[in-house]
Amino acid sequence: MSNNAKIRKQLTRRSMLRASAATLGTAALSAPSIGRAASSDPLRVGTYGGYFQDSFDTHIYPDFTSDTGIAIESIGEPTGEAWLVQLETAARAGKAPADVSMMAQVPRLKGQNSRLWAPLDETAIPNTKNLPDHFVHRYDDGSVSGIGAVSWYITLVTNTDHYPDAPVSWKALWDPANADSIGLLALVTNSFLLEITAATWFDGTSILDTEEGILQVIDKLSEVRPNVRLWYRDEGQFQQALETGEIPMGQYYHDVTGLAASDGKPVRSTFPVEGGVLDSGSWSVSKASDRVDEAQVFIDYMCHPAIQSKLSRFVGTAPTIRRELTDLTDEEFGAVASHIPPILPRYDIYNARGDWLNQKWSELIVG
Amino acid sequence: MTRRRSDNSWHLVLLPAATLTVFFVIPFTIMLAVSFFQRIEGGFFEPAFVLSNYVRFLTPFFGKILATSVGLSATAATIVVAVAFPFAYVLSRMPRRRQTTILVFILSVLSLSEVIVGFAWSTLLSRTAGIGNLFHWVGIAESPRAYTPGLASLLLGLAYLAFPYAVLVIYPAVSRLDPELPEAARTSGASPLRAFTSVTLPIMRRTIAGALILVFVFTLGAYLLPQVLGRPRHWTLPVHITDQAIFQSNIPFAAAMAMFLLLVSLALVGLVLVVDSRRRGDQS
Amino acid sequence: MAVDDVNLEIPAGKLVCLLGPSGCGKTTLLRLIAGLEQATTGQIIVGGKDQAGLPAHRRDLGMVFQSLALFPHLNVAKNIAYPLQIRGVDHAACASRVDELLQLVRMPDAGDRRIHQLSGGQRQRVAIARALAINPALFLLDEPLSALDAKLREHMQVELRLLQKTLGITTIVVTHDQREAMTMADLVVVMDRGRVLQAAPPIEIYRSPANSFVAGFIGTSNLVRCRRTGVDEIEVLGRNYPAPPNSTRSTAGGRDAVLSVRPEDVALHTDPSDGELQGVVEFIRDLGSSVEFHVSAGGITLLSVAPPRGRPNVSIGQDVGITLHIARAALTDP
Repeated sequence: MSNNAKIRKQLTRRSMLRASAATLGTAALSAPSIGRAASSDPLRVGTYGGYFQDSFDTHIYPDFTSDTGIAIESIGEPTGEAWLVQLETAARAGKAPADVSMMAQVPRLKGQNSRLWAPLDETAIPNTKNLPDHFVHRYDDGSVSGIGAVSWYITLVTNTDHYPDAPVSWKALWDPANADSIGLLALVTNSFLLEITAATWFDGTSILDTEEGILQVIDKLSEVRPNVRLWYRDEGQFQQALETGEIPMGQYYHDVTGLAASDGKPVRSTFPVEGGVLDSGSWSVSKASDRVDEAQVFIDYMCHPAIQSKLSRFVGTAPTIRRELTDLTDEEFGAVASHIPPILPRYDIYNARGDWLNQKWSELIVG
Repeated sequence: MTRRRSDNSWHLVLLPAATLTVFFVIPFTIMLAVSFFQRIEGGFFEPAFVLSNYVRFLTPFFGKILATSVGLSATAATIVVAVAFPFAYVLSRMPRRRQTTILVFILSVLSLSEVIVGFAWSTLLSRTAGIGNLFHWVGIAESPRAYTPGLASLLLGLAYLAFPYAVLVIYPAVSRLDPELPEAARTSGASPLRAFTSVTLPIMRRTIAGALILVFVFTLGAYLLPQVLGRPRHWTLPVHITDQAIFQSNIPFAAAMAMFLLLVSLALVGLVLVVDSRRRGDQS
Repeated sequence: MAVDDVNLEIPAGKLVCLLGPSGCGKTTLLRLIAGLEQATTGQIIVGGKDQAGLPAHRRDLGMVFQSLALFPHLNVAKNIAYPLQIRGVDHAACASRVDELLQLVRMPDAGDRRIHQLSGGQRQRVAIARALAINPALFLLDEPLSALDAKLREHMQVELRLLQKTLGITTIVVTHDQREAMTMADLVVVMDRGRVLQAAPPIEIYRSPANSFVAGFIGTSNLVRCRRTGVDEIEVLGRNYPAPPNSTRSTAGGRDAVLSVRPEDVALHTDPSDGELQGVVEFIRDLGSSVEFHVSAGGITLLSVAPPRGRPNVSIGQDVGITLHIARAALTDP
């Protein structure tokens, strides 16, 4: 796979990972497909259709089947919440269109709120101990509702021609010297700019616990507006502008920026002192699945250090297990992650105050 | 005989009626129904009859966005028709072969998607690769600058996208226009400009109104160009509808906003038609 | 169609018909006069004033177009008032002039009607009224009656001619209909391929066509090849005749020429020995008001017309004698 092809696939993956779906409108209005569930069937694993599904089909599933004897049926998920709706509706009818699904965090939390996910047996997934706590998702009663599958970083990116020296802090976004020259993600739920602002100016994201705190953060964030040339939804548009220097600074994906740099483009990704934003997808099992045991075997397999290293090398994701457990070289690790403690997105606030946040966000951007 | 014919025409009505029902009435009804459904935050929606989706829209914030949308489309429609009408008029008076060549070229623009048009213009108007460099090179500008994003570049993009449609609406009408009509005005003492405004334009009034409505409605639905070529304050209602429907999973609110957009465009189109027929009444 | 080397003087107050087949340049000439087209060389002088560089809307003229070009968005009165309003005539003066014009074209009370409600003849009158609204120095009409059916056309020809005489306005009418030209014109200008072939009063054109084209175009004519054998003598179909008086343009002796003999100047006799020439009747067309005979003689077919009462008693296939009234014929260029 050439670098360019890889970039393109990476972009596809990003588009898919947004907690969103172009197909959502129709999916929500049409009857969801109801999965079959006979125990003789292979284990059905859902990943985002496209880049992820292709990569897993090639690099992961064949080895898994030969190692464990469990056959896998690969399911391409429609992105984001459309899949959640299908899972929920099917579960009400006692069916599961897939046994294990890779979920973005906001829909995963929504499923958790409605107790869609089957509680998992930690003892059956010994590799859970490899993961930091923030990648082991629990119900209020402590039972496990999901396990981190893959992760990636959003960092501060710059055009090296315009910025010979790398910026060190997210504060660069507020620097008046950068007027009309930065690009930021346009949506509250995928830019995580509230968390970045809170971590940069308010000593961490706990200020986002209250509405007053959020408004304070939004107030601070509104100061970047004169600097923003582009609020982007389409990643390709920003990446191209970054590479040409049209928009020489912004927030973007660490691994894709690294690939572009190694391709000779004058761009760099910097982990600011406050940390990069660590976004992720997690494995969850539908409560309607009658294959929880095999599903746990699969999830355990995916948390194995060797598999996590393989994902980093071949799929470009950051490991969800602690770095020292992997056999990644410094260079390999640096291509997908950093030692600097990450800014962890506050998925809970998008879940609890979604509409309110969205309204405030729109008002912030539109001005 | 009469009887049989009326039976036939009844069958003939079935197909358009069915098409209209399947492709317009049913989706519209669903959208109307959903706009009254109860939004469930963190989930989806459930059937209900609530007005909260409409109430949320009735705020200065969304009022401003609606005004932005309508203002942008009206401006774009005016610009497009103001350019397309003289263009089509001159075109219709060219030799046949040249007309065909130019029309084919214009039609080929229709094959470009909004995405391609948007990105092409954002590149053309950029600081690093755009016409600013040309201006700099010929000495008009001191240093290359970006002409996008902004209101002007957005209007340019919308106009570019809608121009072929306007020409396609206007061209057949001006081709059929008797060339002796403006000549009669001129031999009656009207300067070419006066002949154009007092004879050609009034005769073409309905065509012009039709083109205005078409471009207005067409650009009212634009949601990609405002994001690519405009600043956030130029984001139109469809951009926000898309955000709500796709990114916030708030289908009921998106449906309510879409209803507003539909009603506003219908009202404006109706207004144009009423004004037109009243003016017609005056003249007879 | 180009117009080439036209030198024409239009007498004031007269009606001139530009006559010719389609594409002969007559409309181009009219449009040059109207200022709708620009001449590359030459002058157009109206009332002593050179019109060069004067755009159409500054010329003192009224024009009726082939399509009539009535403004569909205006009613009858507003159509007629248009040239007045453009020139800033005040409302009251406008209204009284429109009434006057409606009277003139005999359409009083039609001012409020819309154009699409009018018949062909009424549209014609409105177009004429609009062109005359400003009392122009020059009244131009481009095939004005071509859209009307034959009967109405003949009626309108008379009406238009009477109107023109009443007003005494200098008028130029373009037409391809020689009957129309003969009916209306003081002066007929026959054109072909951008050139003027002959400009003369109708009867002179009819009697003394300048060449065989004019002779053939105006009315019906027997065009017979002949030779000029002497100053006052020609040879037609192997017989010598005195040269006709209308032969001013004829060629010098010994050259080929064409003799134009009108059908009414070909007389038939039941006894073949009565005529100078002999022939055989090929076809008879009895039109009621007149009778046509096609007679083959000397390898050509001659057309003879007789009034019903003076009809020679001949039938198809019969040998007849033929008399050519050479004195009323015209000798022209081939």
